[in-house]
Amino acid sequence: MAFKNLRIYLSAISAIIKKDIKIFFAYPINAVFRIIEPIMWITPVYFLSKSFQINGENIGFGQYSGTTDYMAFLVIGTVVSSFVSSVLWGMGFSLKEEKDSGVIESNWLTPIPLWVQLIGRSIFSLIITTINSLTVALLIWTFFGFNINNNIIHAIITLIPLLIALYGLGFGIASLVLITSNANQIIDITNFSLNILCGQDFPITVLPRVITAISLAIPLTYGYDAIRGLLLGTNTLFPIKTELLILTIFMIIGIFLGRYILKKVERHCKTIGNIGFH
Amino acid sequence: MKRSPIITAILSVFKKELKIFLRYPSWFIAMLIWPIIFPFGYLFTAKALSGTDGQSLAAFSNISGTSDYISFMLIGTTMWMIMNTMLWSFGTSLRTEQIRGTLESNWLCPVPKITILLGHSLWEIFFNIIFLTITAIEFKLVYNFKFIGSPLLSFLIIIISIPSIYGIGFIFASLVMWQKETNSMVFLVRGIMSVFCGITYPLAVLPNWMGNISKVIPLTHSISALRSVISTGATLADIKSQIYYLIFSGIILMALGFLAFNFTQRKVKESGSLGHF
Repeated sequence: MAFKNLRIYLSAISAIIKKDIKIFFAYPINAVFRIIEPIMWITPVYFLSKSFQINGENIGFGQYSGTTDYMAFLVIGTVVSSFVSSVLWGMGFSLKEEKDSGVIESNWLTPIPLWVQLIGRSIFSLIITTINSLTVALLIWTFFGFNINNNIIHAIITLIPLLIALYGLGFGIASLVLITSNANQIIDITNFSLNILCGQDFPITVLPRVITAISLAIPLTYGYDAIRGLLLGTNTLFPIKTELLILTIFMIIGIFLGRYILKKVERHCKTIGNIGFH
Repeated sequence: MKRSPIITAILSVFKKELKIFLRYPSWFIAMLIWPIIFPFGYLFTAKALSGTDGQSLAAFSNISGTSDYISFMLIGTTMWMIMNTMLWSFGTSLRTEQIRGTLESNWLCPVPKITILLGHSLWEIFFNIIFLTITAIEFKLVYNFKFIGSPLLSFLIIIISIPSIYGIGFIFASLVMWQKETNSMVFLVRGIMSVFCGITYPLAVLPNWMGNISKVIPLTHSISALRSVISTGATLADIKSQIYYLIFSGIILMALGFLAFNFTQRKVKESGSLGHF
Protein backbone atom coordinates (compact mmCIF):
# COMPACT_ATOMS: atom_id res chain seq x y z
CA MET A 1 0.00 0.00 0.00
CA ALA A 2 2.76 2.38 1.05
CA PHE A 3 4.72 1.47 -2.10
CA LYS A 4 1.66 2.07 -4.27
CA ASN A 5 1.19 5.49 -2.67
CA LEU A 6 4.82 6.31 -3.24
CA ARG A 7 4.47 5.44 -6.93
CA ILE A 8 1.40 7.66 -7.25
CA TYR A 9 3.15 10.50 -5.44
CA LEU A 10 6.21 10.23 -7.65
CA SER A 11 4.07 10.26 -10.74
CA ALA A 12 2.26 13.40 -9.47
CA ILE A 13 5.59 15.06 -8.67
CA SER A 14 6.91 14.27 -12.13
CA ALA A 15 3.74 15.73 -13.70
CA ILE A 16 4.19 18.93 -11.66
CA ILE A 17 7.85 19.14 -12.67
CA LYS A 18 6.90 18.71 -16.34
CA LYS A 19 4.35 21.50 -16.03
CA ASP A 20 6.91 23.78 -14.32
CA ILE A 21 9.47 23.10 -17.05
CA LYS A 22 6.88 24.04 -19.67
CA ILE A 23 6.01 27.29 -17.87
CA PHE A 24 9.68 28.11 -17.27
CA PHE A 25 10.60 27.87 -20.92
CA ALA A 26 7.45 29.68 -22.03
CA TYR A 27 8.96 32.81 -20.45
CA PRO A 28 12.58 32.77 -21.67
CA ILE A 29 13.47 36.23 -20.34
CA ASN A 30 12.55 35.07 -16.82
CA ALA A 31 14.92 32.14 -17.27
CA VAL A 32 17.81 34.42 -18.23
CA PHE A 33 17.08 36.73 -15.33
CA ARG A 34 17.39 33.97 -12.79
CA ILE A 35 21.12 34.17 -13.55
CA ILE A 36 21.46 37.91 -14.05
CA GLU A 37 19.55 38.93 -10.93
CA PRO A 38 21.95 37.57 -8.27
CA ILE A 39 24.83 39.30 -10.06
CA MET A 40 22.85 42.53 -9.96
CA TRP A 41 22.41 42.13 -6.19
CA ILE A 42 26.05 41.30 -5.61
CA THR A 43 27.59 44.05 -7.76
CA PRO A 44 26.55 47.00 -5.52
CA VAL A 45 27.77 45.11 -2.44
CA TYR A 46 31.06 44.47 -4.25
CA PHE A 47 31.44 48.21 -4.82
CA LEU A 48 30.47 48.85 -1.22
CA SER A 49 33.24 46.51 -0.08
CA LYS A 50 35.64 48.26 -2.46
CA SER A 51 34.93 51.60 -0.83
CA PHE A 52 36.18 50.18 2.50
CA GLN A 53 39.31 48.54 1.10
CA ILE A 54 42.86 49.37 2.14
CA ASN A 55 45.39 48.41 -0.56
CA GLY A 56 42.80 46.16 -2.22
CA GLU A 57 41.96 44.19 0.95
CA ASN A 58 39.05 44.33 3.36
CA ILE A 59 41.21 44.54 6.46
CA GLY A 60 38.35 45.77 8.64
CA PHE A 61 36.14 42.87 7.60
CA GLY A 62 38.90 40.42 8.52
CA GLN A 63 38.86 41.75 12.10
CA TYR A 64 35.28 40.50 12.51
CA SER A 65 35.19 37.40 10.33
CA GLY A 66 38.67 35.95 10.09
CA THR A 67 38.94 36.46 6.31
CA THR A 68 39.69 39.55 4.25
CA ASP A 69 38.19 37.94 1.14
CA TYR A 70 34.78 39.55 1.41
CA MET A 71 33.68 38.43 -2.06
CA ALA A 72 34.11 34.75 -1.16
CA PHE A 73 32.14 35.35 2.06
CA LEU A 74 29.40 37.07 0.08
CA VAL A 75 29.19 34.50 -2.72
CA ILE A 76 28.73 31.62 -0.25
CA GLY A 77 26.03 33.59 1.56
CA THR A 78 24.29 34.31 -1.74
CA VAL A 79 24.38 30.68 -2.87
CA VAL A 80 22.90 29.41 0.43
CA SER A 81 20.28 32.18 0.34
CA SER A 82 19.26 31.28 -3.19
CA PHE A 83 18.36 27.79 -1.94
CA VAL A 84 16.37 29.28 0.94
CA SER A 85 14.53 31.56 -1.51
CA SER A 86 13.95 28.74 -3.92
CA VAL A 87 12.11 26.62 -1.35
CA LEU A 88 10.14 29.51 0.14
CA TRP A 89 9.02 30.97 -3.21
CA GLY A 90 8.64 27.58 -4.86
CA MET A 91 6.26 26.36 -2.16
CA GLY A 92 4.54 29.48 -0.86
CA PHE A 93 4.11 31.40 -4.06
CA SER A 94 2.92 28.41 -6.05
CA LEU A 95 -0.29 28.46 -4.02
CA LYS A 96 -0.85 32.12 -4.77
CA GLU A 97 -0.27 31.53 -8.48
CA GLU A 98 -2.73 28.66 -8.47
CA LYS A 99 -5.28 30.86 -6.70
CA ASP A 100 -4.83 33.69 -9.20
CA SER A 101 -5.08 31.39 -12.20
CA GLY A 102 -8.14 29.69 -10.72
CA VAL A 103 -6.71 26.14 -10.70
CA ILE A 104 -6.12 25.63 -6.99
CA GLU A 105 -9.50 24.05 -6.30
CA SER A 106 -9.21 21.54 -9.12
CA ASN A 107 -5.67 20.67 -7.99
CA TRP A 108 -6.89 20.07 -4.45
CA LEU A 109 -9.59 17.77 -5.78
CA THR A 110 -6.94 15.35 -7.06
CA PRO A 111 -6.15 12.49 -4.64
CA ILE A 112 -2.63 13.88 -4.07
CA PRO A 113 -1.91 15.34 -0.63
CA LEU A 114 -1.08 19.03 -0.55
CA TRP A 115 2.39 18.44 0.89
CA VAL A 116 3.27 16.23 -2.07
CA GLN A 117 2.06 18.92 -4.49
CA LEU A 118 4.19 21.49 -2.69
CA ILE A 119 7.27 19.27 -2.80
CA GLY A 120 6.65 18.83 -6.51
CA ARG A 121 6.52 22.59 -7.00
CA SER A 122 9.82 23.08 -5.22
CA ILE A 123 11.84 20.42 -7.04
CA PHE A 124 12.20 22.11 -10.39
CA SER A 125 12.89 25.34 -8.57
CA LEU A 126 15.72 23.62 -6.67
CA ILE A 127 17.20 22.14 -9.85
CA ILE A 128 17.19 25.54 -11.51
CA THR A 129 18.66 27.11 -8.37
CA THR A 130 21.53 24.63 -8.36
CA ILE A 131 22.33 25.32 -12.01
CA ASN A 132 21.99 29.06 -11.44
CA SER A 133 24.15 29.06 -8.33
CA LEU A 134 26.98 27.29 -10.11
CA THR A 135 26.72 29.65 -13.09
CA VAL A 136 26.52 32.73 -10.88
CA ALA A 137 29.49 31.61 -8.76
CA LEU A 138 31.51 31.02 -11.93
CA LEU A 139 30.59 34.43 -13.35
CA ILE A 140 31.40 36.21 -10.11
CA TRP A 141 34.70 34.38 -9.89
CA THR A 142 35.44 35.59 -13.43
CA PHE A 143 34.36 39.20 -12.83
CA PHE A 144 35.42 39.83 -9.25
CA GLY A 145 37.57 36.87 -8.20
CA PHE A 146 37.46 34.95 -4.90
CA ASN A 147 39.11 31.93 -3.29
CA ILE A 148 37.64 28.88 -1.56
CA ASN A 149 39.42 25.74 -0.27
CA ASN A 150 38.88 22.07 -1.13
CA ASN A 151 36.18 21.22 1.43
CA ILE A 152 33.42 21.39 -1.18
CA ILE A 153 32.08 17.85 -0.50
CA HIS A 154 31.81 18.60 3.23
CA ALA A 155 30.01 21.85 2.46
CA ILE A 156 27.51 20.01 0.23
CA ILE A 157 26.91 17.46 3.02
CA THR A 158 26.17 20.39 5.35
CA LEU A 159 23.75 21.84 2.82
CA ILE A 160 21.61 18.67 2.72
CA PRO A 161 20.06 18.79 6.25
CA LEU A 162 19.66 22.51 5.76
CA LEU A 163 17.65 21.97 2.59
CA ILE A 164 15.46 19.26 4.11
CA ALA A 165 14.78 21.46 7.12
CA LEU A 166 13.80 24.26 4.76
CA TYR A 167 10.92 22.13 3.52
CA GLY A 168 9.45 22.33 7.02
CA LEU A 169 9.73 26.09 6.83
CA GLY A 170 8.22 26.03 3.31
CA PHE A 171 5.17 24.13 4.63
CA GLY A 172 4.79 26.76 7.34
CA ILE A 173 4.99 29.61 4.80
CA ALA A 174 2.51 27.87 2.52
CA SER A 175 0.12 27.64 5.50
CA LEU A 176 0.46 31.37 6.14
CA VAL A 177 -0.21 32.11 2.47
CA LEU A 178 -3.38 30.01 2.64
CA ILE A 179 -4.65 31.91 5.66
CA THR A 180 -3.78 35.46 4.60
CA SER A 181 -3.92 35.34 0.77
CA ASN A 182 -1.01 37.78 0.63
CA ALA A 183 1.83 35.63 -0.58
CA ASN A 184 4.20 38.25 -1.98
CA GLN A 185 4.66 40.23 1.17
CA ILE A 186 4.79 37.23 3.49
CA ILE A 187 7.40 35.38 1.47
CA ASP A 188 9.40 38.48 0.64
CA ILE A 189 9.60 39.67 4.24
CA THR A 190 10.31 36.19 5.65
CA ASN A 191 12.93 35.48 3.02
CA PHE A 192 14.63 38.85 3.36
CA SER A 193 14.59 38.80 7.16
CA LEU A 194 15.96 35.27 7.30
CA ASN A 195 18.77 36.19 4.94
CA ILE A 196 19.90 39.19 6.92
CA LEU A 197 19.38 37.69 10.36
CA CYS A 198 21.28 34.53 9.44
CA GLY A 199 24.24 36.49 8.08
CA GLN A 200 23.96 36.29 4.31
CA ASP A 201 26.16 39.37 3.81
CA PHE A 202 28.00 39.81 7.12
CA PRO A 203 29.06 37.90 10.24
CA ILE A 204 26.23 38.04 12.78
CA THR A 205 28.70 39.11 15.47
CA VAL A 206 28.36 42.72 14.21
CA LEU A 207 24.67 42.79 15.13
CA PRO A 208 23.40 44.37 18.36
CA ARG A 209 23.21 41.82 21.18
CA VAL A 210 19.40 41.44 21.15
CA ILE A 211 19.35 40.75 17.42
CA THR A 212 22.32 38.38 17.71
CA ALA A 213 20.23 36.36 20.17
CA ILE A 214 17.46 36.11 17.55
CA SER A 215 19.99 35.07 14.90
CA LEU A 216 21.40 32.40 17.16
CA ALA A 217 17.89 31.05 17.70
CA ILE A 218 17.44 30.48 13.94
CA PRO A 219 19.07 27.18 12.96
CA LEU A 220 19.76 28.43 9.41
CA THR A 221 22.44 30.71 10.87
CA TYR A 222 24.52 27.63 11.65
CA GLY A 223 24.16 26.45 8.04
CA TYR A 224 25.67 29.66 6.68
CA ASP A 225 28.30 29.67 9.40
CA ALA A 226 29.37 26.03 9.02
CA ILE A 227 29.61 26.19 5.22
CA ARG A 228 31.77 29.32 5.42
CA GLY A 229 33.87 27.76 8.15
CA LEU A 230 34.48 24.75 5.91
CA LEU A 231 35.16 26.65 2.69
CA LEU A 232 36.87 29.80 3.93
CA GLY A 233 38.20 28.88 7.36
CA THR A 234 36.26 31.80 8.93
CA ASN A 235 35.74 32.09 12.70
CA THR A 236 32.64 29.98 13.46
CA LEU A 237 30.12 30.55 16.23
CA PHE A 238 30.50 26.97 17.55
CA PRO A 239 32.68 24.03 16.47
CA ILE A 240 31.46 22.86 13.03
CA LYS A 241 30.38 19.44 14.39
CA THR A 242 28.09 21.12 16.93
CA GLU A 243 26.61 23.29 14.18
CA LEU A 244 25.94 20.17 12.08
CA LEU A 245 24.16 18.56 15.02
CA ILE A 246 21.96 21.64 15.44
CA LEU A 247 21.09 21.50 11.74
CA THR A 248 20.17 17.83 11.94
CA ILE A 249 17.86 18.39 14.92
CA PHE A 250 16.32 21.36 13.09
CA MET A 251 15.76 19.14 10.06
CA ILE A 252 13.85 16.50 12.04
CA ILE A 253 11.73 18.93 14.07
CA GLY A 254 11.17 21.34 11.14
CA ILE A 255 9.84 18.77 8.74
CA PHE A 256 7.35 17.20 11.17
CA LEU A 257 6.18 20.50 12.64
CA GLY A 258 5.79 22.10 9.20
CA ARG A 259 3.76 19.20 7.89
CA TYR A 260 1.56 19.17 11.00
CA ILE A 261 0.79 22.91 10.66
CA LEU A 262 0.09 22.58 6.94
CA LYS A 263 -2.34 19.73 7.53
CA LYS A 264 -4.23 21.75 10.16
CA VAL A 265 -4.43 24.83 7.94
CA GLU A 266 -5.46 22.79 4.90
CA ARG A 267 -8.34 21.35 6.90
CA HIS A 268 -9.28 24.78 8.21
CA CYS A 269 -9.36 26.25 4.68
CA LYS A 270 -11.45 23.37 3.38
CA THR A 271 -13.89 23.82 6.27
CA ILE A 272 -14.43 27.55 5.84
CA GLY A 273 -14.23 27.31 2.04
CA ASN A 274 -11.72 30.08 1.29
CA ILE A 275 -9.36 28.05 -0.90
CA GLY A 276 -10.02 29.96 -4.10
CA PHE A 277 -10.24 33.42 -2.49
CA HIS A 278 -7.61 35.99 -3.42
CA MET B 1 -21.31 70.78 -13.28
CA LYS B 2 -20.58 67.40 -14.81
CA ARG B 3 -17.19 65.86 -14.04
CA SER B 4 -14.93 65.04 -16.97
CA PRO B 5 -14.88 61.29 -17.79
CA ILE B 6 -11.08 61.40 -17.66
CA ILE B 7 -11.12 62.63 -14.07
CA THR B 8 -13.81 60.07 -13.23
CA ALA B 9 -11.67 57.28 -14.69
CA ILE B 10 -8.54 58.44 -12.85
CA LEU B 11 -10.41 58.66 -9.55
CA SER B 12 -12.04 55.26 -10.13
CA VAL B 13 -8.65 53.61 -10.56
CA PHE B 14 -7.41 55.41 -7.44
CA LYS B 15 -10.46 54.22 -5.49
CA LYS B 16 -10.02 50.67 -6.74
CA GLU B 17 -6.34 50.65 -5.68
CA LEU B 18 -7.24 52.04 -2.26
CA LYS B 19 -9.94 49.38 -1.84
CA ILE B 20 -7.52 46.58 -2.76
CA PHE B 21 -4.90 48.01 -0.39
CA LEU B 22 -7.37 48.11 2.48
CA ARG B 23 -8.51 44.59 1.63
CA TYR B 24 -5.03 43.26 2.53
CA PRO B 25 -4.11 44.69 5.95
CA SER B 26 -0.80 42.84 5.83
CA TRP B 27 0.33 45.34 3.13
CA PHE B 28 0.19 48.03 5.75
CA ILE B 29 2.35 45.90 8.04
CA ALA B 30 4.77 45.46 5.13
CA MET B 31 4.85 49.23 4.74
CA LEU B 32 5.98 49.48 8.36
CA ILE B 33 8.52 46.66 8.14
CA TRP B 34 10.34 47.33 4.84
CA PRO B 35 11.91 50.69 5.74
CA ILE B 36 13.56 49.00 8.71
CA ILE B 37 14.65 45.71 7.20
CA PHE B 38 15.70 46.77 3.71
CA PRO B 39 18.62 49.01 4.73
CA PHE B 40 19.44 46.72 7.66
CA GLY B 41 21.59 44.32 5.62
CA TYR B 42 23.58 47.12 3.97
CA LEU B 43 24.12 48.97 7.25
CA PHE B 44 25.51 45.94 9.04
CA THR B 45 27.57 44.95 6.02
CA ALA B 46 29.09 48.43 6.20
CA LYS B 47 29.66 47.98 9.92
CA ALA B 48 31.40 44.64 9.31
CA LEU B 49 33.52 46.19 6.55
CA SER B 50 34.45 49.11 8.85
CA GLY B 51 36.23 46.74 11.19
CA THR B 52 37.11 47.47 14.78
CA ASP B 53 40.04 49.86 14.43
CA GLY B 54 38.49 52.58 12.21
CA GLN B 55 41.06 52.33 9.38
CA SER B 56 38.62 50.93 6.85
CA LEU B 57 35.99 53.50 7.83
CA ALA B 58 38.56 56.21 7.19
CA ALA B 59 39.07 54.76 3.69
CA PHE B 60 35.30 54.95 3.06
CA SER B 61 35.20 58.50 4.41
CA ASN B 62 37.99 59.57 2.03
CA ILE B 63 36.07 58.33 -0.99
CA SER B 64 32.52 59.30 0.00
CA GLY B 65 33.20 62.53 1.88
CA THR B 66 31.36 61.34 4.98
CA SER B 67 31.96 58.80 7.72
CA ASP B 68 28.22 58.73 8.47
CA TYR B 69 27.54 55.67 6.35
CA ILE B 70 24.15 55.24 8.03
CA SER B 71 22.60 58.42 6.58
CA PHE B 72 24.46 57.81 3.32
CA MET B 73 22.79 54.42 2.87
CA LEU B 74 19.39 55.28 4.30
CA ILE B 75 18.91 58.01 1.69
CA GLY B 76 20.01 55.73 -1.16
CA THR B 77 17.92 52.77 -0.07
CA THR B 78 14.80 54.91 0.47
CA MET B 79 14.92 56.22 -3.08
CA TRP B 80 15.53 52.70 -4.33
CA MET B 81 12.50 51.44 -2.38
CA ILE B 82 10.30 54.12 -3.96
CA MET B 83 11.58 53.14 -7.40
CA ASN B 84 11.09 49.44 -6.66
CA THR B 85 7.51 49.91 -5.40
CA MET B 86 6.71 51.97 -8.46
CA LEU B 87 8.12 49.34 -10.82
CA TRP B 88 6.19 46.50 -9.22
CA SER B 89 3.07 48.55 -9.01
CA PHE B 90 3.12 49.76 -12.63
CA GLY B 91 4.38 46.43 -13.90
CA THR B 92 1.72 44.41 -12.18
CA SER B 93 -1.14 46.90 -12.61
CA LEU B 94 -1.90 45.89 -16.19
CA ARG B 95 -0.38 42.42 -15.95
CA THR B 96 -2.56 41.34 -13.01
CA GLU B 97 -5.62 42.48 -14.90
CA GLN B 98 -4.44 40.46 -17.89
CA ILE B 99 -4.16 37.37 -15.69
CA ARG B 100 -7.47 37.96 -13.94
CA GLY B 101 -9.21 38.60 -17.25
CA THR B 102 -10.36 42.16 -16.48
CA LEU B 103 -8.02 44.09 -18.77
CA GLU B 104 -10.12 43.70 -21.89
CA SER B 105 -13.31 44.94 -20.22
CA ASN B 106 -11.39 47.95 -18.84
CA TRP B 107 -10.04 48.62 -22.30
CA LEU B 108 -13.58 48.80 -23.64
CA CYS B 109 -14.41 51.79 -21.42
CA PRO B 110 -14.91 54.96 -23.52
CA VAL B 111 -12.01 56.86 -21.91
CA PRO B 112 -8.38 57.33 -23.00
CA LYS B 113 -6.52 54.21 -21.85
CA ILE B 114 -3.71 56.27 -20.38
CA THR B 115 -6.15 57.27 -17.62
CA ILE B 116 -5.66 53.80 -16.18
CA LEU B 117 -1.98 54.57 -15.67
CA LEU B 118 -2.67 58.11 -14.54
CA GLY B 119 -5.07 56.81 -11.89
CA HIS B 120 -2.40 54.42 -10.87
CA SER B 121 0.14 57.24 -10.64
CA LEU B 122 -2.20 59.20 -8.39
CA TRP B 123 -2.47 56.21 -6.09
CA GLU B 124 1.30 55.76 -6.15
CA ILE B 125 1.93 59.38 -5.18
CA PHE B 126 -0.53 59.10 -2.30
CA PHE B 127 1.00 55.79 -1.20
CA ASN B 128 4.55 57.14 -1.39
CA ILE B 129 3.76 60.23 0.68
CA ILE B 130 2.50 57.95 3.47
CA PHE B 131 5.46 55.62 2.96
CA LEU B 132 8.00 58.45 3.18
CA THR B 133 6.41 59.84 6.33
CA ILE B 134 6.50 56.43 8.01
CA THR B 135 10.06 55.88 6.77
CA ALA B 136 11.30 59.21 8.15
CA ILE B 137 9.80 58.50 11.58
CA GLU B 138 11.17 54.96 11.69
CA PHE B 139 14.64 56.05 10.55
CA LYS B 140 14.76 58.59 13.36
CA LEU B 141 13.58 56.06 15.96
CA VAL B 142 15.48 52.97 14.83
CA TYR B 143 18.62 54.27 13.14
CA ASN B 144 18.92 57.73 14.75
CA PHE B 145 18.87 59.29 11.28
CA LYS B 146 20.39 62.78 11.25
CA PHE B 147 18.63 65.41 9.11
CA ILE B 148 20.96 68.41 8.81
CA GLY B 149 19.58 70.30 5.77
CA SER B 150 16.21 71.72 4.77
CA PRO B 151 13.27 69.24 4.79
CA LEU B 152 11.43 71.51 2.33
CA LEU B 153 14.27 71.38 -0.19
CA SER B 154 14.44 67.59 0.21
CA PHE B 155 10.71 67.39 -0.48
CA LEU B 156 11.20 69.58 -3.56
CA ILE B 157 13.87 67.18 -4.87
CA ILE B 158 11.47 64.27 -4.45
CA ILE B 159 8.66 66.16 -6.23
CA ILE B 160 10.96 67.08 -9.12
CA SER B 161 12.09 63.44 -9.36
CA ILE B 162 8.50 62.19 -9.79
CA PRO B 163 8.12 62.82 -13.57
CA SER B 164 11.30 60.92 -14.40
CA ILE B 165 10.42 58.04 -12.07
CA TYR B 166 6.86 57.82 -13.38
CA GLY B 167 7.98 58.26 -16.97
CA ILE B 168 10.08 55.13 -16.50
CA GLY B 169 6.98 53.55 -14.91
CA PHE B 170 4.86 54.26 -18.00
CA ILE B 171 7.51 52.84 -20.33
CA PHE B 172 7.81 49.90 -18.02
CA ALA B 173 4.06 49.16 -17.86
CA SER B 174 3.96 49.25 -21.67
CA LEU B 175 6.86 46.82 -21.94
CA VAL B 176 5.23 44.42 -19.49
CA MET B 177 1.92 44.53 -21.34
CA TRP B 178 3.80 43.61 -24.48
CA GLN B 179 6.43 41.20 -23.20
CA LYS B 180 4.29 39.74 -20.33
CA GLU B 181 7.28 38.93 -18.08
CA THR B 182 6.82 41.36 -15.18
CA ASN B 183 9.37 39.80 -12.84
CA SER B 184 12.23 39.93 -15.30
CA MET B 185 11.43 43.48 -16.29
CA VAL B 186 11.39 44.59 -12.64
CA PHE B 187 14.63 42.73 -11.95
CA LEU B 188 16.30 44.34 -14.95
CA VAL B 189 15.31 47.93 -14.25
CA ARG B 190 15.78 47.85 -10.48
CA GLY B 191 19.02 45.92 -10.98
CA ILE B 192 20.35 48.66 -13.27
CA MET B 193 19.38 51.24 -10.66
CA SER B 194 21.08 49.41 -7.82
CA VAL B 195 24.25 48.74 -9.81
CA PHE B 196 24.69 52.21 -11.32
CA CYS B 197 23.01 54.76 -9.03
CA GLY B 198 25.29 54.53 -6.00
CA ILE B 199 22.53 53.50 -3.65
CA THR B 200 24.89 52.01 -1.09
CA TYR B 201 28.34 53.08 -2.24
CA PRO B 202 30.09 56.27 -3.37
CA LEU B 203 30.14 56.64 -7.18
CA ALA B 204 33.88 57.33 -7.06
CA VAL B 205 34.61 53.59 -6.76
CA LEU B 206 32.99 52.86 -10.14
CA PRO B 207 35.16 52.34 -13.21
CA ASN B 208 34.92 55.26 -15.67
CA TRP B 209 32.53 53.60 -18.12
CA MET B 210 30.12 52.72 -15.30
CA GLY B 211 30.42 56.21 -13.86
CA ASN B 212 29.39 57.65 -17.25
CA ILE B 213 26.27 55.46 -17.37
CA SER B 214 25.35 56.37 -13.82
CA LYS B 215 25.37 60.09 -14.70
CA VAL B 216 22.65 59.54 -17.30
CA ILE B 217 20.20 57.93 -14.84
CA PRO B 218 17.96 60.50 -13.10
CA LEU B 219 17.83 58.49 -9.85
CA THR B 220 21.59 59.05 -9.41
CA HIS B 221 20.97 62.80 -9.40
CA SER B 222 18.01 62.52 -7.00
CA ILE B 223 20.05 60.49 -4.52
CA SER B 224 23.11 62.69 -4.83
CA ALA B 225 21.06 65.89 -4.36
CA LEU B 226 19.21 64.43 -1.37
CA ARG B 227 22.49 63.33 0.24
CA SER B 228 23.95 66.82 -0.22
CA VAL B 229 20.90 68.49 1.29
CA ILE B 230 20.14 66.08 4.12
CA SER B 231 23.67 65.20 5.25
CA THR B 232 25.66 68.35 4.51
CA GLY B 233 22.99 71.07 4.50
CA ALA B 234 23.47 72.05 0.82
CA THR B 235 21.28 74.87 -0.53
CA LEU B 236 19.28 75.14 -3.75
CA ALA B 237 22.19 76.95 -5.42
CA ASP B 238 24.55 74.06 -4.56
CA ILE B 239 22.37 71.45 -6.26
CA LYS B 240 20.98 73.46 -9.17
CA SER B 241 22.70 71.38 -11.86
CA GLN B 242 21.04 68.23 -10.47
CA ILE B 243 17.67 69.98 -10.28
CA TYR B 244 17.95 71.09 -13.93
CA TYR B 245 18.86 67.57 -14.96
CA LEU B 246 15.89 66.10 -13.09
CA ILE B 247 13.47 68.56 -14.71
CA PHE B 248 14.92 67.92 -18.17
CA SER B 249 14.94 64.12 -17.82
CA GLY B 250 11.44 64.21 -16.32
CA ILE B 251 10.03 65.94 -19.42
CA ILE B 252 11.82 63.55 -21.78
CA LEU B 253 10.89 60.39 -19.89
CA MET B 254 7.25 61.39 -19.42
CA ALA B 255 6.94 62.07 -23.17
CA LEU B 256 8.59 58.74 -23.94
CA GLY B 257 6.27 57.04 -21.45
CA PHE B 258 3.15 58.38 -23.21
CA LEU B 259 4.55 57.41 -26.61
CA ALA B 260 5.47 53.91 -25.44
CA PHE B 261 2.03 53.36 -23.95
CA ASN B 262 0.23 54.52 -27.11
CA PHE B 263 2.48 52.42 -29.31
CA THR B 264 2.02 49.29 -27.18
CA GLN B 265 -1.68 49.85 -26.99
CA ARG B 266 -1.93 49.89 -30.76
CA LYS B 267 0.38 46.91 -31.09
CA VAL B 268 -1.52 44.62 -28.68
CA LYS B 269 -4.82 45.60 -30.27
CA GLU B 270 -3.52 44.74 -33.73
CA SER B 271 -2.07 41.43 -32.63
CA GLY B 272 -5.10 40.69 -30.47
CA SER B 273 -2.87 39.79 -27.53
CA LEU B 274 -4.32 42.23 -25.00
CA GLY B 275 -5.80 39.50 -22.84
CA HIS B 276 -3.01 36.95 -23.40
CA PHE B 277 -0.81 35.87 -20.50
